[in-house]
Amino acid sequence: MTLVILLLGLGVGVLVGLLGIGGGVALVPAMVYLLHMDQHMAQGTSLFILLPPIGLGALREYWKQGQVDLRAGILCAIGMLVGAYGGSLVALPMNSQNLKGFFGCFLMLAALLLWRKTRLESNAAAKQQDRARG
Amino acid sequence: MADGIGRSAGILAAATICGVASGLFGIGGGVLLVPLLGLLFAFSQHRAQGTSLIALIPPTGILALIAYAKGGFVSWKTGLLLIPGVFLGGILGGVLAKRIKPRSMREIFAAILFVLGAWQAFSAWRH
Repeated sequence: MTLVILLLGLGVGVLVGLLGIGGGVALVPAMVYLLHMDQHMAQGTSLFILLPPIGLGALREYWKQGQVDLRAGILCAIGMLVGAYGGSLVALPMNSQNLKGFFGCFLMLAALLLWRKTRLESNAAAKQQDRARG
Repeated sequence: MADGIGRSAGILAAATICGVASGLFGIGGGVLLVPLLGLLFAFSQHRAQGTSLIALIPPTGILALIAYAKGGFVSWKTGLLLIPGVFLGGILGGVLAKRIKPRSMREIFAAILFVLGAWQAFSAWRH
């Protein structure tokens, strides 16, 4: 079981660096299904894992390439600190089944946004190529 | 860079929404922040990802974590076991992101996320 948990961490970590996300979105369902945790417990544990700067190694690679907007990053951190507290106050009194269902809906929404971003970018790239060809 | 007050306020507002999702669902919020920075504020994909990573360096979830911990909803042992893997994997992913075009990777991830979400919602509410 310990080995499963260690490997799970490594797999989620690759996503963190590759996609620039915290990893909680993959960790929570993984803990619910692979480790049979209750939804609230998985979410609380995920928040605990996100406490240390686990993305620091990945951030270094982006920083070297100049792909970081520090000012926007600080603004985002402030917004998220406050918002996260508000979100937890809503989640805690909810029953676990409903929370799990809402989490599922959120995953679908996040997936659609992620997919849409990809599409827009590839369209823009295609247009640029057309222009270059004349 | 045209960094107006309006743009800053917009970023702050978008991040607050990401934060609500973070506390509500126990996630970092980057999964929402990355596409929002790109769609609303015209960040390139790599820049959105790098900026999301720096926003996740301070312990933004600490207030939410305290609330969960008070409710007894934290498995400290599992968390401690997961942290080293996530950190090492993060470096690996950061190196990979520079070498490969992460577009197809993101599409695959989005597809998996969608299926996972549908499965969770279905299993929670089928009764």
